[in-house]
Amino acid sequence: MKITLKINNQVYTTHIDADESLLDTLRKLGFKSVKKGCDTGTCGVCTVLKNGKPVLSCQILAARAEGHDITTVEGLGEKADEIVDAIVSEGADQCGYCGPSLVVTTYAMKQELKDPTIEKINQYLSGNLCRCSGYEGQLRGIKKYMGVK
Amino acid sequence: MRDIRKFDARPKLDGSWKFLDDITYEGMIYGQLLYSTCHHGIIKKIQFPKDFELNEFTIVSAKDIVGKNLVPEPEPDQPFMAEDKVSHFGQIILGIAHPSKRTLISFIKQIQIDYQELPAITDIEECLENEDNVFGREIIIDHRREIELESNWIHSHEIYYTPHQEHAYMEPQGIISIWNPADRKMFVKATCQCPYFVKHAVEAIMGKAINEAVIETSEGIGGAFGGKEDFPNVLAGITSLLAYKSGKPVKIMLDRADDFKITTNRHPSRIELHTYTDPATKKIMKLNVDYRLDAGAYQTLSPVVLSRGVLHASGGYNIPDVYIRGRLFRSNTPSNGAFRGFGVPQALAAIEAHADKIASQLNMDPYDFRKTNIFKVGNEFPSTQKITENHLEECLDRVVQKSDYRKKLQEFKEWNVAHKDKKGIGISMGYHGGGYTGNGEKILNSKIKIIIEKDAKVKIFVSSTDMGQGAHTTLAQMFFEAIKHPREKCWVQLPNTSKTPDSGPTVASRTIYIIGTMLQKFALKIKDEMGFTNLEEYVASHQSDFPREFQIKFTPDPTVSFDDNNFRGTAYKDYSWAACVSEIYYHADTYQIELKKIWNVLDIGHPVNLKIAEGQVEGGNIQAMGYALTEFFYKKDFGRMQGFTDYSIPLSLDIPEIDIEFIHTDSDVAKGLGEIPMDYPAPAIRNAFHNAAGIFINEYPLTPERIFKQISSPKNHRI
Ligand code: FES
Ligand code: FES
Repeated sequence: MKITLKINNQVYTTHIDADESLLDTLRKLGFKSVKKGCDTGTCGVCTVLKNGKPVLSCQILAARAEGHDITTVEGLGEKADEIVDAIVSEGADQCGYCGPSLVVTTYAMKQELKDPTIEKINQYLSGNLCRCSGYEGQLRGIKKYMGVK
Repeated sequence: MRDIRKFDARPKLDGSWKFLDDITYEGMIYGQLLYSTCHHGIIKKIQFPKDFELNEFTIVSAKDIVGKNLVPEPEPDQPFMAEDKVSHFGQIILGIAHPSKRTLISFIKQIQIDYQELPAITDIEECLENEDNVFGREIIIDHRREIELESNWIHSHEIYYTPHQEHAYMEPQGIISIWNPADRKMFVKATCQCPYFVKHAVEAIMGKAINEAVIETSEGIGGAFGGKEDFPNVLAGITSLLAYKSGKPVKIMLDRADDFKITTNRHPSRIELHTYTDPATKKIMKLNVDYRLDAGAYQTLSPVVLSRGVLHASGGYNIPDVYIRGRLFRSNTPSNGAFRGFGVPQALAAIEAHADKIASQLNMDPYDFRKTNIFKVGNEFPSTQKITENHLEECLDRVVQKSDYRKKLQEFKEWNVAHKDKKGIGISMGYHGGGYTGNGEKILNSKIKIIIEKDAKVKIFVSSTDMGQGAHTTLAQMFFEAIKHPREKCWVQLPNTSKTPDSGPTVASRTIYIIGTMLQKFALKIKDEMGFTNLEEYVASHQSDFPREFQIKFTPDPTVSFDDNNFRGTAYKDYSWAACVSEIYYHADTYQIELKKIWNVLDIGHPVNLKIAEGQVEGGNIQAMGYALTEFFYKKDFGRMQGFTDYSIPLSLDIPEIDIEFIHTDSDVAKGLGEIPMDYPAPAIRNAFHNAAGIFINEYPLTPERIFKQISSPKNHRI
């Protein structure tokens, strides 16, 4: 079937299978920052923003994303810089497979959490698995970015 | 010791760094593995579904193998694919490829295989309790010294059990193979730790069908932790066979469920200890260790895990009389393999917990007990290697001091009287020998190539891979810092076996310690020989000499020797040392242990890049926390593993505060670091639980279910 998706403020028309996940469609369209870690909604590396809210793209049918604003890290551009800097300055980036999804989730968190606390941040990020860093450096950087001591 | 930002940090976060699954080649088709769901049996019939065009698929079985159906390294006993018999769940039977992933998946789902089932061992206990299952070479470290047992010596006898651990790297395993009939070369793109192992495997399976296999890693390797040391060899072999047969580039990416079900894991262990301690001096006089690993169906690299395990099994204690026996046990589960720590986490999970047991029998504080028994300069390891520094004791003293151990002990004791929930604090210590065991580095004989270009750019060619541990940043740093060359003029190249010489596998905490040290020494040597103070200026004024290529070879230390038959001598030239204190909160209502804080004091020599080094400690600690508290599975339930809901790795919600201090950082040597932070925390957490609740648990992980069982029926406790 043919669908039209709005990704990073651009319109894409593409053919998909009816049961195709948004993750597969995004990757087919070249948005390779969106990774596949499990395909069953358990790891978070496929996270993208749907109307500004983080969603697991492996758990959404591409067809159901029609009419919504989809954002990947490619679409954040400069808006991601500050987050990237915060994470990198803590040396928190290791293999990087979880990186782009962490950046988009953090971006959404900044918009959403009005008065962020450490607990709220930990909770917000709890679906973003990372096996390398032990989260410590990531969270140090992100807390700084969120202005939480 | 400078913090140089990783060169790949930004592209990884902005998504432009390419991982294996981000790469496609013209005409590429997709492959998948069909593996056994039977643990042990004879393949009676393979039936393909009717409503597919069979000739659209490329199918390979053991019969298509041109070379040998045997993975050549490390121990050549595992076939790439099953022939008529399967020996474990997950054994690969067919490789199948098709242009459409979707068609491929539905085809494979409908393939029927009939087995004649044979008796199988799938349970860890069943495997490790029965000595009939022993296979491979047994290792004995015999350091017995005719000591008469005194009747008043305290005998402690315990058995410890540790589970499988899944690497759970976020990027699953994958390979792309491209066959070029013109030059008869097989090009393989791999997410792997050891490009030369992959090369040898592909050349073994392809035999005379190809002239050469060329292996190049992907830009990004999404975590490995040992998991991409041996399985990529098998996967690359089969993918290459598919590429050869189909004539097309073939990509196989395992999905998470298959990755969980069929790739290697950390070896489960059963470690039985007997100690005899003199109550007068509080010294352990005699130790006997029976160290058993469940190797799975084949040995593969289990013998090397076993040798490292037994060499670390007596911990940091000076015990006059020691006897250690190490054995591998066979089961009908996928072969277990390398995992950060390599036999040492199991060894420490036992000996460091046992130390607390003896301390409690002596009514002694665990720190005081360790102080009384810790080895000192002039003592020796059971292998007879001499202890030449007291840095382990320094780590221990420092971590006890900075964690306020004594004060907390007292505070928690008082707090616990008044509360149902409990607080606890525990200690552990350990060490990790750097590089290959014994004569391994001599045999590996690592080589490095360097090209200095006309613009003074230094290109470093090593087969060591960067799988997130920052190896390529740190290696370059070791070179450019040694001669004060600008950072942007020094790069490690993407490993490719046709360009990079064999600098050995990226394992055994050897990359910085062995390869980095070679680079550093070489930089200083050319500086000396060419007589420059500034390489850029030198190159500018000697343009006709450049580009220039250099080959560097590992020079073994002639004073280091090891007898592999009797396990005597210098097992490792340098050891990293560490001690840790962990603080836990025990939720009595839910039987849950919450790790609050962990203090690490380590001697890894000179930490080249402090941020990267700290990141290794943090990541290692959290994997160890998973090992201690939540991570396990039973292979008999393997079919059920789908994703991270079936296997709980720590989340950002669970993490404790981590304190890290490196000592002796002014050392000339950059010692091994990657593994040690995974080695020691688990027993410290277990010991802290004992301190909190007064209960010893000798089986890891300490899940609420296990704690509940122990509390409700303590008699069932094994020993
Ligand atoms: S790939 Fe979507 S949650 Fe793992
Ligand atoms: S950095 Fe490797 S998974 Fe997060």
